[in-house]
Amino acid sequence: MRIRNRQFFKSIYIKLFMAVWIVLVITVSCQREETEEINLTAIDYNLHVRPIINKNCIVCHGGVKKSSNLSFLFREEALAVNKSGKRAIVPGDAAKSEMISRIKNQDPEVRMPMDHAPLSKAEIEILTKWIDQGALWKDHWAYVAPEATDIPKVKNDNWVENPIDQFILDRLEKEGLEPSEPTDKTTLIRRVSLDIRGVPPSIDELNQFLIDDAENAYEKLVDRLLDSPQYGERWATMWLDLARYGDTKGYQKDLHRNIWKYRDWLIDAFNQNMPFDEFTIAQLAGDLLPNPTKDQLIATAFHRNSMTNDESGTDNEEFRNSAVLDRVNTTWEVWQGTTFSCVQCHSHPYDPFRHEEYYEFFAAFNNTEDADLQPEIPFMDVYTKAEEAKIDSIKNWIVQNGNSTNAKNKLDSIKPTKLPIMKELEADKHRVSYVFVKGNWMDKGETVTSGVPDLMPPLPEGEKADRLGMAKWLVSGENPLTARVTANRFWAQLFGKGIVATLDDFGSQGDVPSHPELLDWLALEFQGEMNWDMKSLLKLMVTSAAYKQSSKVTAEGLEKDPYNYLLARAPRLRLSAEQVRDQVLAVSGLLNKKMFGPSVMPFQPEGVWKVISSNAKWVMSEQPETYRRAIYTYRRKTSPYPSMSTFDSPSGEVCLSRRINTNTPLQALVTLNDPVFVEAANALANLTEQKSDDMEAQIKYAFQSALLRIPSQQEMLIMKILYQEVNLETKPIDELKLEVASVNREVLKTPMSVVANAILNLDEFVTRQ
Amino acid sequence: MNKFQEAYFKQAEFETRRHFLKQCTTGLGAIAMGSLVGCGNNTERGLDKLAGMANPLMPKPPMFAPKAKRVIYLHMAGAPSQLELFDYKPELQKLDGQDCPPSLLEGKRFAFIEGTPKMLGPLYDFKQHGESRAWVSDRLPHFSKVVDDVSFLKAMHTDQFNHAPAQLLFHTGSPRLGRPSMGSWVTYGLGSENENLPGFVVLVSGGKTPSAGKSVWGSGFLPSVYQGVQCRSEGDPVMYLSDPKNISRDQKEKIIKGINTLNEEHYKEVGDPETLTRISQYEMAFKMQMSVPEAMDISKEPAYIHEMYGTEPGKASFANNCLLARRLAERGSRFIQLFDWGWDGHGAGKEEALDHGFKDKCKDVDQAMSALLTDLKQRGMLEETLVVWGGEFGRTPMRENRGGKEMVYKGRDHLLESFTMWMAGGGVKPGITYGETDEIGYYGIKDRTHVHDLQATMLHLLGLDHEKLTYDFQGRPFRLTDVSGNVIEKILA
Repeated sequence: MRIRNRQFFKSIYIKLFMAVWIVLVITVSCQREETEEINLTAIDYNLHVRPIINKNCIVCHGGVKKSSNLSFLFREEALAVNKSGKRAIVPGDAAKSEMISRIKNQDPEVRMPMDHAPLSKAEIEILTKWIDQGALWKDHWAYVAPEATDIPKVKNDNWVENPIDQFILDRLEKEGLEPSEPTDKTTLIRRVSLDIRGVPPSIDELNQFLIDDAENAYEKLVDRLLDSPQYGERWATMWLDLARYGDTKGYQKDLHRNIWKYRDWLIDAFNQNMPFDEFTIAQLAGDLLPNPTKDQLIATAFHRNSMTNDESGTDNEEFRNSAVLDRVNTTWEVWQGTTFSCVQCHSHPYDPFRHEEYYEFFAAFNNTEDADLQPEIPFMDVYTKAEEAKIDSIKNWIVQNGNSTNAKNKLDSIKPTKLPIMKELEADKHRVSYVFVKGNWMDKGETVTSGVPDLMPPLPEGEKADRLGMAKWLVSGENPLTARVTANRFWAQLFGKGIVATLDDFGSQGDVPSHPELLDWLALEFQGEMNWDMKSLLKLMVTSAAYKQSSKVTAEGLEKDPYNYLLARAPRLRLSAEQVRDQVLAVSGLLNKKMFGPSVMPFQPEGVWKVISSNAKWVMSEQPETYRRAIYTYRRKTSPYPSMSTFDSPSGEVCLSRRINTNTPLQALVTLNDPVFVEAANALANLTEQKSDDMEAQIKYAFQSALLRIPSQQEMLIMKILYQEVNLETKPIDELKLEVASVNREVLKTPMSVVANAILNLDEFVTRQ
Repeated sequence: MNKFQEAYFKQAEFETRRHFLKQCTTGLGAIAMGSLVGCGNNTERGLDKLAGMANPLMPKPPMFAPKAKRVIYLHMAGAPSQLELFDYKPELQKLDGQDCPPSLLEGKRFAFIEGTPKMLGPLYDFKQHGESRAWVSDRLPHFSKVVDDVSFLKAMHTDQFNHAPAQLLFHTGSPRLGRPSMGSWVTYGLGSENENLPGFVVLVSGGKTPSAGKSVWGSGFLPSVYQGVQCRSEGDPVMYLSDPKNISRDQKEKIIKGINTLNEEHYKEVGDPETLTRISQYEMAFKMQMSVPEAMDISKEPAYIHEMYGTEPGKASFANNCLLARRLAERGSRFIQLFDWGWDGHGAGKEEALDHGFKDKCKDVDQAMSALLTDLKQRGMLEETLVVWGGEFGRTPMRENRGGKEMVYKGRDHLLESFTMWMAGGGVKPGITYGETDEIGYYGIKDRTHVHDLQATMLHLLGLDHEKLTYDFQGRPFRLTDVSGNVIEKILA
C-alpha cells in the first residue's frame, strides 16, 4: 500500500473537483438518451470509477457485506477468485471480467446491481475501459499527503491580500463570478471581534478603529484581538465540542464531575498560543512525556471527558470498554476527520480501513488505569488560580520565615479539587486487546498488538506504539490528514463551512473539497512555515480579502451559488449559542469578564433538572457570577442549559465536529422571553436612560450599542412608534407578586426596555455579517 | 432636511404608523411575508427558497398510503414486569420458591442476580377478558375492558439490559448516543400538521427526565428543529413561552411587529433569505404562545372526561399527560411521547417492589391509558392514531437476590429475552396476541419481535419505509432501524 507516485496522485487530486462535474455531465447526458459522445481516453480510479462503485456496488461488496466473498474495497480482494469461482475483475481484459458481464446482463435475476436499475451505458463504458486499461486502484486523495503547488495567478490581483485570495479568486474567475466589495469598517470590526474573541467591540473600540487611518489599522486590530484573553475563551469553546466536555459524567445518574480545570487549561493553551503539535501531544499523552509538568497532566483530562456509567447493575468492564472506544473514535474524528467508529463493528464500508486495524489502534488506548469506577480514579489534585496564588504566597512565606503550625494549617485548609486524568498501567498490568467481533466486547476475536492502519504512514522512527507514539504520529508531518483537518476546522469557524464541508469525514464519502489546492496550501503552511502556530493560521485567514468582503447577498450571487461554496461573498452566519449569550450580556453592560474556575449556574427555569435517578440541583449562582461568559455555564450532559441547546449547542455526550445551525420559533422565545434576555433589555434601557432624557437619543444609543451603527430614518421611526404605542402594565411590582431580586428578569420596566428587547431580537443582532 | 424631504418623511411616518397599527389589530398573519412579496426585485427567489426553509416542519407526503397519522407512545421507564401484567405463566407458579436450575443461568449476564436465585411465580391473579380472551392480571381492571382494541406483542426482545442504553435503543435505534429519536425521524419524514404546536411533543410524569436523559427525544444528527419539545406541567408548558409579567398579548404583538418590520428593512438591505425565515419564526413563536397554553389547559374539559381519565387539573400526573396527549393529537401534533417512571421492580426498596409500589404504579396508569383508548375511539381518532405501550426490557422469572441474598420485598431483575408491549389503533389488528414465550416467560419461542421490528412497523403504519427514511451523515445514509428490522405483517389490519 505504500508505493505511491505522489506527483501523479497530486495531479488527480487537483482535478478532483472538476471530476465531479464531469461525472455529473456524463450522468446527465446519459439521461438524455446518451446522445453525447464520451471521450475519456485515460480512465482514472478516483475520478471516474470510485463514484460508480461507491454508489452502486459497495453496499453489498464492501467492508460490511462481502456478498459472494467479493469486495471492491481493496484491489487484491476485487481481483481474487470469488465464491462463484470467477474473477470479478481480470485486469486488462474486461471481456473476461465477471463484473462487466454481470452489469451488462439483460436478465434481471443475474444483472448487477441486484434489484436496482441497471448502470447507464456511460457507467458501463467507464468500468470496461478502466479494466481494459489495467484496473488500477488509487488511494483516496485525503490519504495522500498534500504537496506544495504553485499559487494560482489571477487577473484581478488588486483584490488579493494574501495567497488565500488567489486560490479563491482563481476559482471565481473560472466560474465567471466576481468577489464582493470590501465590507465597511463597522461590519468588519464586529465580524472579526465576534470571530476571534466571541464578543462584539464596544463603541469605544469601534470609534478607535474608525478613526485609525493607518494602513495597518486592521492588522493591529487583529493582533489586539488575538492577544486578548477572550480569544482563548472563544476558541476553547470550539474545542470543547470536540472534547465532549461536560461538568457531569453522563448516562443515567449523570453525576457531577470536576473537570473544569481541563477547560481552564484549554483557555490558557489557546491564549499562550501553544503550537498545535504540542497541544495535541499534551491532551492525548501528556502523562507519558518524560517528567510531565502539571499542565501536561491536566491536559490529559481531554480523554477523561468520555462518559462513566454509575447506573447500578452495570458492568464496569463493559463501560470501561465503551470509554476506550469513545476515545479512539474521538481521536480519529478530531485529528483525522475520519469516521473510524464505522470500523468498530466491521471493516469500513467505503474507506480502506480493516476491522482489526481499529483494534490495533484501540490497543494503544486500552492501558489506562481508569475503569468506569464511581470515584473516577486516577485523579490529580488541582486548585483554582486564586488558590494557586494563595498557596504560592504561603509557601514563599515559609521559605522566608520557616514553617509554622499556622502556615501549615493555612495550607491544609486549601482543599484540592480531584481532577480525573489519564495514567498508564504498569507494564506488567497491560491489558490484552482483542478484535471485538461485530463490535461486541463480549465476543472477543483475535488478539491484537497496537499499531496504525496500513494505509497510513508508519509511526515515526523510534516511537513506541503507545498513546504517546500515536500522538506524535498524528502531528509527525507525514500524516496526510491532521493539518488538513485542523486548518479546515478553523476555516469553517470563520467562513461558515469547511473547504471540506464534512468536517468529520474526509473519507471517500465525505464532501469533495470546494478548494482542494487551497486546503493543501493551508495545511502545508500550518505544519511547515507556521510550525503549527494557531494564531498565525487564524491571522492569515482573517486578513484575506475573502474574509473581509461584504456579505450582502445579490440576486445574481444567490442564483449562481446559493450556498456560497465559492465565496464570492462573505457568509452571513447566525451566532453560536455562546455568542448569543455573551453578546447580549456584553452590549447590556452586564458581562462579567472573570475567567476560569468551577462552572457557574446562571438563571435557568425551575424544574429543568428534575431527573429520576439523581438529586442534583441547579442552584443559581450569586451575582455577578451569573453574568459570566457562556463557556463557564454548568453543562450537564443529559440536561444541557436550555437556552443554549435551543441555539444548537451540543450535549457533550459525544464528540461533535459540526453544529447544524437552525432557525426556529423556540429561538425567538428565548431571546424574547428568557429572563436572562429580559434582564439584559432592562439593563441596556437603563444605560440609555442614564445617557439622555431624550427618547430619540436613547433609542439611537441602544441601537448603536447593539448593532454598532446608527439606525436609518425608517428604522428609527419604527422604534419610535413601538416606544410610543406600547402600553405597559403599570401595576406596582408588589401587585405582580414579584420578588425584588427577580424583578429585572420578569418585567420589561419601561418603554425603552421594550425597544431594547426588540433590538436584542433583531436578525442582524443574532447574525454575524 | 429640505421641505420636500420633510414632507416625504411625514408621509412615510404616517404610512408606517398606519401599517403598524393595522397589523396589530388584524393579527400578525403573513403580513410580513405579504409586504415583502411586492417589494424589491429579489423577493421572488427569496420566497422560492423560503418554501423549504421557513418551516421544515411543513406537512410532507408519506411514502405510501399510511394507516396512522400520528403516534402516542407511552413509555413505562424502568420496565414493568410482563409476568405480573400480561404474560400469564401458571407453570411458573408451580416453580415458585424453588432454586433456579443451572441450565437457565449458564452463560447469562444479569444486572443484579447472583449465584442461584429462586423462581418467582406471578404475584397476581390472571383472567381472560373480552371477546379476544386476552390474559390480563387483576392489577389492570380498567384496561381489561378495552383489550379487544389492543394488539399484544408477547415476545418482544432487546439487546440492552441497562436502563439508559435500552431506552436509547428503543427511542433512537441505537444504544449509543448521537442518533435521532423516533419522533425526530417521524417529524423529519412527515412534518407536523399544526405549525403552531410542536410536531414532536414530550410529556413526562412529574416532569422527571428518564434515565437516558433528553437524548431519548434528541434529534441526534438531524437538524435540531426535529428534536422533541418537552411540554411541562409546571412553569411554562414550553420553556420561555410566557411573556414578561407586564406584557399583555396585545403589547407582545406590537413588539413582534416592531421586530419583524425592522427585520424587513434589513432584508431589503442584505437580501439574505434567512432573514425572511426568521421573520416567519417570530410569527410562529407568537402563535405558539397562544396555541400551546390552550392545548395544555385541561381545566376546561368536561367533568365526565376528568372522571374517565382520573385527571386533576394542575397536577403533574401520567393521567393528565394522557389527556394532554389526546388534546395534542386532536390539534395535529405528529408524535406525542409520554414517559412514566418508577417501574423498575427489583424489590430492592418498597417503592418499586412488585408486591408494594408496583400496585400503585398500576393504579397510576390503568385508568388513564384505558381512558385514552376509549376517548380516542369515541372521537373516531383511534383509527388514525397509533398508541404504543411498553418498557425498555422485561423482567426475569427468577426472583432477584441482590448480593446473593433473599431480599425483603419481591422483585425481578432485568431481562432481554422476553417482554410484552401492546399497540392499538392506527392500522393495527385489534384483539390479537402476537408472539409467545416459553412456559416460564424466559424466552420468546414464537414470533419474536425485536425493538427494530417494532420501529419498522411503527414507521410502516405512518406510511414510511424504514429502509428508505434515511439521512446522510458521516458519509453514509443512517436510519432509525440501523441495519435490521422487519415490519410485523401479521399484526397489520
